[in-house]
Parts: sequence; structure tokens; C-alpha cells
Amino acid sequence: MIDAVLTIAQSQTPGPMAQATLFHYLIVSALMFGIGLIGFLTRRNLIIMFLCTELMFQAAGIALIAFSRFHLNHTGETFVIFVLTIAAAEAALALALVVLLFRRRETLDAGVWSQLRG
Amino acid sequence: MDALVSPILLFGGCVLGAIGVAMSLPRKGLNPQVIGALIAALAGGVLLIGLGVKAGPSNLPNINFYLFSLIALGASLRVITHPRPVYAALYFILTILSSAGLYVLLGAEFMAFALVIVYAGAILITYLFVIMLATESPTADQVEALSPFDRYAREPVLASFVGFLLVAALSVMMARGVSVLPETSNYAAAQNLNDLPKKVETALRDAKLMDKDESIARDADGAYQLDLFPYAGGPGTVTIAYGEGRTRVLSTDHPDWPKDLRLTNVEGVAFALLRDHPGSIEVAGVVLLMAMLGAVVLARKKVELDEQAKLAAERRSLADEFAPQNSPLMGPSVPGSPTVREAPTRSLGEPSRPAASGGAA
Repeated sequence: MIDAVLTIAQSQTPGPMAQATLFHYLIVSALMFGIGLIGFLTRRNLIIMFLCTELMFQAAGIALIAFSRFHLNHTGETFVIFVLTIAAAEAALALALVVLLFRRRETLDAGVWSQLRG
Repeated sequence: MDALVSPILLFGGCVLGAIGVAMSLPRKGLNPQVIGALIAALAGGVLLIGLGVKAGPSNLPNINFYLFSLIALGASLRVITHPRPVYAALYFILTILSSAGLYVLLGAEFMAFALVIVYAGAILITYLFVIMLATESPTADQVEALSPFDRYAREPVLASFVGFLLVAALSVMMARGVSVLPETSNYAAAQNLNDLPKKVETALRDAKLMDKDESIARDADGAYQLDLFPYAGGPGTVTIAYGEGRTRVLSTDHPDWPKDLRLTNVEGVAFALLRDHPGSIEVAGVVLLMAMLGAVVLARKKVELDEQAKLAAERRSLADEFAPQNSPLMGPSVPGSPTVREAPTRSLGEPSRPAASGGAA
């Protein structure tokens, strides 16, 4: 009975070649996070910058799911639900801000806002 | 660290990746995007193959992992290098879909569905709308419709260096004390199966271990007598009631015991979310509500006129419309004649014009 409690990761893949190490997933997550960070630093379009933060959220999500699988409980997946929630909230607020900023200066260039006055 | 990947390959891959990403970012003048993308892909390949070599053939991840992760990383590279925001958002959807594939490989199908629905379905559509709302329309004589801030990246070399320094640090840190994913034989979350007697009943009936008129016995308090994973170890038991108050005990060692009786991912997440972390959904709901309110407050146009003033303004403009000097074609004006139709649109449209530019103040 106990052996029957398998996850899809093992039951659906044939043979013994099925087990990835946790590190495989973590390195994919780290690479995606790095790409998101680079994008956030280099791109000057406000919308793309927020898209890059979503990319970093996504990388964190992969790491959380991998840890959840590694520790054999569902806590990591619960956490991903919150990441999704926060991402949705952040998208709503950030995009409202972007629309507001665009109305002010008629451009999406982040460099225009380099000097903010109170 | 050495057991997972040789450090030379790891750091070499990071350096190669940094060079590739730096080259593929949009820049002034010379634009070696394709070469950069190839180098970055080579770096990703070097990293993954290096991992695979050390992991040994028995622990090699299955082919789907390589497929999904390469698509995800390639698409995310394209997100940050594509000069057009709409295409970047579409590539981001591709990243989402392939990470949903990785989620499924990790046995988290509920989160994979949630990801596709929430991210690709809701958040990205919002992004696309905003991109289309807040983009300067290219003029007819402009050949290159892209604005300069989309065409040239800011400090690509420095940013790639910093980013891949972070990747190297992260991976060295994570490499300590990490090994193969464990067998799921003692899945702690499977304990929750004891709380799903109806599911167990159905599975046992399907396996012909219970008859239609039998059911899982309850004790005096009404609790189901069901212990599939005894604390002391060994096979679990189910007590089955039949006839008039008679019971028999069924062991999980029974040869016909349904092997596929287990907690599905959705049920596991439900237990983790609603029993182990009660109230968290409400907190998430409040967060979303606040964000919605904030977005409405931020993005709305300021309405300067209240209802009374608006009505007064409307009446005034109607009166202007019917004044004889304003409508020369009408001849001697008769109250209630045809121009009534256009008047309201004009009077409503005008007051909102100054609010559009001054609303952000």
C-alpha cells in the first residue's frame, strides 16, 4: 500500500531513468531568476521591467515546488499559491501605476523618472 | 558540491551564460543577438550536461525535464531581449506554460493548472491590455516604430555580470547538502487519507473488497475506524461493518488492496491549505481586495464635477445650442427641435478633457 503512494514524477516515467536530482530544478530556477534580474536591470521599458519581476516570481515558484516535492509535503505548493496571489495583486497595482505614469509623461521610459520630486 | 557538478563546468557555464546574455541584449550599433543567444544556449547546455554527467545514469532526469527547462530558459531570455513589449509578454506566456510542465514533472498538477489559469489567463492578459493602452502610436512617416528605450538596453555587460554572479553564488549555496529526490514511500501527507473515508470506501468497492451494503465502521463517537498508516508502523487496518452490527477487519496487506489508492495532489494541497494553514485563504483574499481597491484609486480619472454641477453644465450647453445665434441654419428656433441629440454628448465630453491630463496630480 505504502509503495503505491507515488507521485506522477515517478509513476508516469518508464524505467529507472526517472529520478532527477533536486539540484537540476534548483539550477533551472536560479538561471531563470538571474535572467529576470538581468532584464530588470537592463530594460528601460516600465512594463518589461515588471514582466521581469514576474519572471523572478516564476523562478521562485519552481524552486518552491521542487522543495515541496523534496520534503514530501504540500507546504511549498501552499506557498506558491501565495506567490500567485501576490503576483496578481502586484500586477494590478503596478500596471495601474504604469498607466498613471504614462499619462503624466506620455512615455514608458524609466529613465524619464530618474529625478523624482516629492 | 563536487558530487553534483564539477565546479569548473558550473563556473564556466556561468561565465559563458553571462557573455551570451550580454551579447543578446539589444544595444546600439552592432547587434549580435543571434550569436549571443547561441552562446547562452550553449552555456545552459553545458550546465545541464555537467549536472547529468555527475548524477550518473540512474539519476538522470527524464527527457521532458530537459525539454521544458530549455524552452523555459530560452523563452525567458527572449522576454528580456525582445525589443517589442507585446512579443516579450507572449514569450513570457511560453515561459509560464513550460514551467507548468516542470510543475507536472514534480507531481504538482494542481499548481500547474493554477499557474496556467492565473498567470497565462489573467495576469498576462492584463499586461497585454496595458501594453496596448500605454504605447505611443507610431506616426506614419516613422519607419522604425520602436522607441529608443525599447531598442537599447541599459548597461548590458554590467547587469549580466551581476546576474550571473548571483546565479553562481546561488548554485554553490544550494549545492550543499542536496541529493536525489527521495522515494515517496513514506509520504507524510498520505496520512490524510484517513480523513477521506468515502474515497477509501469507493476504492475498496471498486476492488471488490467490500460489498454494496457494507460500509466502514464507526465507533460510538461517530469517528470512522480507519487507520491506514499506524503510528507504530506495519500494515494499516480498516474496520468494515456489515449486517447487524457485525464488523470485520481488513488489512492493507490484502493481496487485492487497491495499489492506486492514494491522496491526489489536489486533495493534498487542500489539506495543507485549509487544515494546516487555516485562514490563509482569507488573508490572500484581503490582499487581493486591497490591491484591487488600490488599482481603482490609482487609475481612475478624477471626476471634478458633482452630479448637480454636471446637470447645470448640461443645461447651460443645451441652452447655448438653442440660442438663435448658435444655430444659423435652424432659422427661428423652436424649443425641442432636432439638435437635442448631439447636445448631451458634447457637454459630457468636454469637462472630462482637462481631467485626463490633470487627474494624476
